[in-house]
Amino acid sequence: MTVESPPFARVLVANRGEIAVRIIRACHEMGMEAVAVYSDADASAAHVRLADIAVRLGPPPPSESYLRIDGVVEAALATGAQAVHPGYGFLAERAAFARAVEAAGLAFVGPASDAIEALGDKLNARRLAARVDVPSVPGTLEPAPVDHPDQAAEIIATARRIGFPLLVKAAAGGGGRGMRRVTREEDLAAALVSGSREAQSAFGDGSVYLEREILPARHIEVQLLADAHGTVVALGERDCSLQRRHQKLVEEAPAPGLTEAQRRHLHGLAIRLGEAASLRNAATCEFLYDPDGNFWFLEVNTRLQVEHGVTELVSGVDIVREQFRIAAGAPLSPEVTAAGERAATPASHAIEARIAAEDTSRAFAPTPGRVGRWVMPAGPGVRIDTHIEAGDRVPPDYDNLIAKLMVHAHDRDAAIDRLRRALDETEIGGVQTTVPFHRAVARSEAFRRGELSTGWVEANWDGAAARREAVGRGLLAAGLAAMDEVPAAGRPPVNGETGSAADRRDGQAAAGNGWRRGGRAQGVDRWPS
Amino acid sequence: MSPHHDTLGNDTLSNGNGDGKGTGNGEALPSAGIVHPRAVRVRLSAASRIEDDAVLRVSPVGGSVWMPNATVGRGPLGGVATPDVAVAHAGQDDTGFEDTDVLAQRRPVEVDGVPADVALRAAGSGRYVLTGDGVVTRVVLEDSSPAEGGVRRREVLVDGFRFEVETESERIAALRERAARGRAAAARGGPLEVRAIIPGKVAAVSVVAGDTVIAGQQLLVVEAMKMQNELRAPRDGSIVRVGVAPGESIEVGDLLVVIS
Repeated sequence: MTVESPPFARVLVANRGEIAVRIIRACHEMGMEAVAVYSDADASAAHVRLADIAVRLGPPPPSESYLRIDGVVEAALATGAQAVHPGYGFLAERAAFARAVEAAGLAFVGPASDAIEALGDKLNARRLAARVDVPSVPGTLEPAPVDHPDQAAEIIATARRIGFPLLVKAAAGGGGRGMRRVTREEDLAAALVSGSREAQSAFGDGSVYLEREILPARHIEVQLLADAHGTVVALGERDCSLQRRHQKLVEEAPAPGLTEAQRRHLHGLAIRLGEAASLRNAATCEFLYDPDGNFWFLEVNTRLQVEHGVTELVSGVDIVREQFRIAAGAPLSPEVTAAGERAATPASHAIEARIAAEDTSRAFAPTPGRVGRWVMPAGPGVRIDTHIEAGDRVPPDYDNLIAKLMVHAHDRDAAIDRLRRALDETEIGGVQTTVPFHRAVARSEAFRRGELSTGWVEANWDGAAARREAVGRGLLAAGLAAMDEVPAAGRPPVNGETGSAADRRDGQAAAGNGWRRGGRAQGVDRWPS
Repeated sequence: MSPHHDTLGNDTLSNGNGDGKGTGNGEALPSAGIVHPRAVRVRLSAASRIEDDAVLRVSPVGGSVWMPNATVGRGPLGGVATPDVAVAHAGQDDTGFEDTDVLAQRRPVEVDGVPADVALRAAGSGRYVLTGDGVVTRVVLEDSSPAEGGVRRREVLVDGFRFEVETESERIAALRERAARGRAAAARGGPLEVRAIIPGKVAAVSVVAGDTVIAGQQLLVVEAMKMQNELRAPRDGSIVRVGVAPGESIEVGDLLVVIS
């Protein structure tokens, strides 16, 4: 056994939240120092507390802090960092950022800027797929001639061939922006123009193209790792079908119900794409899987994914650790190669529930605020990736993911049982979270049968009804407890007269998280009126 | 097996219905009814209200002997039950969350005036186990805020949902509503009901039906907390009815005098 020396001495983590914490932990495990960057909203955030050095970027708005390419590169140079890990979101898929890091003589922990640029253009990625015989979702490979009314007949003929309903999508797109669903031929021209205009303002690139709408479909993606020596390995696939507003809620590995042959075929498609794009480091190929068993390529994400953890649990590979090794020029480790060989015959199952500050009974509306009670589950097969402690604030400025609850078990049924148990142990106060939805998923017979689809949430979740039911029992419990607290009539209520259990808890909280120190300000946060 | 709540409470204090049932939902609570001193009204606080304005009234069954905190600290999570106690009651399932009657000492309870088979067990650190209709629910009740105007607020966690509820004494709530009605009636010039605002004993009655009174005139004297409290007419009018006699004990909310 040889002990590997750390790939870098010091790494800057250009992100916040749970993923910054995840990456800093990997740095520390590998014997590297971590440099955090932060906005004023995060001055005392977990990633700042954990890091060895922290550099302020600016005020809370992302454009003045976490999206400042010059500020991040300056911070890396000023602190003597040798590498920059972008995490996901923010600058992770900005080719200009990767290029600035490369130009500063630092290692970018991700694909080369050229590959990010090439794959960030979805039309480019679709053409690449066509070159290596990977079927893309049926549609066009060139930008639609939005500015050439004389070519309208041609695009309508193309649309007819693709079939309605279809989607107008932005080449530079993401998160549904610039996307239009078109059900009738006569609506196509208007959708192309408005989609293009929205794409132009959102991404500075108005190119749009046509794609068939595949529904029902499952969203299945393949995790790739590739080194600088041209080796590309698929670590396995994930099913991420449970989404709302194109944002994933639950992910699992492996995708349930696939045969070994299907897995080999799917992983092969992803590896072909990775090789064709000269991918390096970590990336994910996304596919739609239709009820007839066909895989249709969607896009490549040239970064670490939120849901990378479920693949780590099933494959046994620490993906972030491997990213650092790859960025330092090392070949893929033997563990990765071995995991790639096992990927089509997975021996265990992992599920992730994304716990976000959102109200699932109000159309998943964001619920920023201050977290009160914070009790996370533990025990066998449970992994929690979070940056939150009791009393922490969830700022309105950023993504509202507050914890990733992952469970791991020998098979899918046992993993679902474990998820249900872990969610039962979870107690989060102060802000409403997506936990009610996840509890319903863990109890859903349809989910257990593997009936997954990108339309699952709409078909299976009635948040208002679930809340009404919970409120009924909550009122009853509060009423029963209050019967012991109500003072005899006429006597003024005495503060602190309530149960001793509550007092004991308060004592613990005061010692544990400084709840009391915050005093009135926190009380106001907790009891908005 | 659970005790039959109806047989435990004699209902003579419960609005004289005698069937163990109250009057259903609270809007219909009779102004002349005697409310159990520990009856509680609970509702979602304004910040947590989305669509409905659910109100629940929880009360001990009238006339039953109330044992405050009888369930607190019992059971496996409460730290009080000893292992042999747990074993002795075979009704308890192996998760330890099912209450047995002996362990929980269930108290006869009415929910919205209807006897209900429910129990709440404190499990420590703000955690409670609610059992009702065979369903076991884990509930977190955070510390209640100091009462403002008799209303306490607290955060409740159930099934991953969080919301804030307000609880207040049913008596105080009913009294406040009656006072509001009385003011409205006074504004209209209709009959005004004078009700007890403190419990005690009637020491003297100074008026009889038919008397004309002016605002501020003494109506009766109530002895409470070893003090003589004069009750005066809130406005001019004539006495329609006197509901009490010297020597009678009165409770908060009892009807004393009606002024036209």
